[in-house]
Amino acid sequence: MQMDQVEIGRVAAAHPREGLTVEVRGLVKRFGERNVLHGLDLDIEAGQFVAIVGRSGCGKSTLLRQLAGLDALSEGTIRLDGEDLTALGGEVRMMFQDSRLLPWRTVIQNVTLGLSGKRAELQAKAEQALAEVGLADRADEWPSRLSGGQRQRVALARALIHRPRLLLLDEPLGALDALTRIEMQRLIERVWRQHGFTAVLVTHDVSEAVALADRILLVEDGRITLDEAVTLPRPREHGEAPLAAIERRVLKRLMTVEALNQRNQLRGRVREILVGPVMSEIRVDTPAGCVSAAISTRSLQARSLELGADVLAAFKSTEVLLATVD
Amino acid sequence: MSSVSHVFKKGLAGLLPWLLPILILSGWEHSARLGWLSSRILPEPLAVLHAAWGLAESGELWAHVQVSAARAFIGFAIGGGLGLVLGLLTGTFRAAEIGLDTTLQMIRNIPPLALIPLVILWFGIDETAKLFLISFGVFFALYVNTFHGIRSVDPALIEMGRSYGLSGWALYREIILPGALASILVGVRYAFGFMWVILIVAETISAQAGIGYMTMNAREFLQTDVVLVGILLYALLGKLADSAARLLERRWLKWNSAYSAT
Repeated sequence: MQMDQVEIGRVAAAHPREGLTVEVRGLVKRFGERNVLHGLDLDIEAGQFVAIVGRSGCGKSTLLRQLAGLDALSEGTIRLDGEDLTALGGEVRMMFQDSRLLPWRTVIQNVTLGLSGKRAELQAKAEQALAEVGLADRADEWPSRLSGGQRQRVALARALIHRPRLLLLDEPLGALDALTRIEMQRLIERVWRQHGFTAVLVTHDVSEAVALADRILLVEDGRITLDEAVTLPRPREHGEAPLAAIERRVLKRLMTVEALNQRNQLRGRVREILVGPVMSEIRVDTPAGCVSAAISTRSLQARSLELGADVLAAFKSTEVLLATVD
Repeated sequence: MSSVSHVFKKGLAGLLPWLLPILILSGWEHSARLGWLSSRILPEPLAVLHAAWGLAESGELWAHVQVSAARAFIGFAIGGGLGLVLGLLTGTFRAAEIGLDTTLQMIRNIPPLALIPLVILWFGIDETAKLFLISFGVFFALYVNTFHGIRSVDPALIEMGRSYGLSGWALYREIILPGALASILVGVRYAFGFMWVILIVAETISAQAGIGYMTMNAREFLQTDVVLVGILLYALLGKLADSAARLLERRWLKWNSAYSAT
């Protein structure tokens, strides 16, 4: 750990403040009638690694696309290093959920995409970028011959070769198997520390966010509802107790926030609890009548819900969620 | 011992697909020799071979093939080139699609052969008429497939390209054209097939040279063997054109495992 701190200090000195600062004010994004982001504010320090978590459809990917300049904003401002975001500046690069490699270009041609300069120079740069992600020996293959994890490595090399000051990661590891995913997380952490860029990672995997980020943002219904700093030393091992504690906290918050969502909810009182071997049913009296919610017996035992307790019933499209009211 | 029988088996397996054609040919040959089949209806295969040999030796055959092939490829170049350019245009620019596509789709529904009377009135029975018919027939195969190819390029890849700083011609060269190429080549293959069909009809109407002229001439002198040589030549040329298109596919789409040779 001591060695590690020294290493970080050395790298930080070699690349003084390479990252961009991000400043988002009153960001609103509408698709037709529907508001996806409702006046979102966000500040990110230079070089920080921020993870954005949330359920699918909560607006986290939309936020990322706004930062990348891929979609026009409906309202609000985004400033990078104090300057208004001009579409697709050369300092911002994005990694997508699918690698989006060009199938008709070889690995190395994909890496040099969008670069101009002498061929030999580009070649050398690309080989270096590929070596950095551990794929130097696959330079001349077609992307179709690579595994999913390898394709994402190539996509990472393609982003790194531009020396971005802000790297946006849109669930880049979502489709990978567990082992490859951990490998990729380590790789991303390593290049982030080496290059010192600001990183924004969108993910639905809370443990991934805890393993990588300095800061975890929870986006729910187009707003940031939790901003949790993670100050654990790096590199972090999966399964360590402090990591698990933070993960549990974020997950719990995710569930509660979900239930406390401003819309589609009713206050009520528990009338009946029907305990089954696997699933249990809870009947709640609300002003609108009796509502029934299904919950697994295991989690019911963990919560110790009592008859007559005040609860909030939140209505989702396919289920009713309950939250206790303190 | 076993390796010998293995080689033998392999050779036999290679021959099997040819068994039926050989049987048909020998049956045909025999029935012609035994007088069951009049040579006016169908000459014996050997006579056809003989006729082909004679025509080839006199040089007449090559002259006709040259004229026909030149017609086919000039027509293909004009019609296919126009189809490609207009397909790229309407595929790329919404305004071009709005302005042109409806008109072109209406014209597309006219069978080219229905135009023959009009074409003869316009261009006479000259070379121009034949080239026009071939170009017209080939045009739509390329136009429709190019348009479709451009439109079906993965928008995610285009977005990626833009976010990596590509725009204008660079975006076109790196992403849109290669993405549309598979579909364009389907158009080329289809056009090659159609090109010969139109050519045959056009040459049968009237011509002073070419395979069609050769066969029509032979018909007047009841030389059924020469007629058959002409028919076989069309088949051969069609096959050659198709093989050429496949070669292009294999070379240009080698990144795609569906086309790669290995």
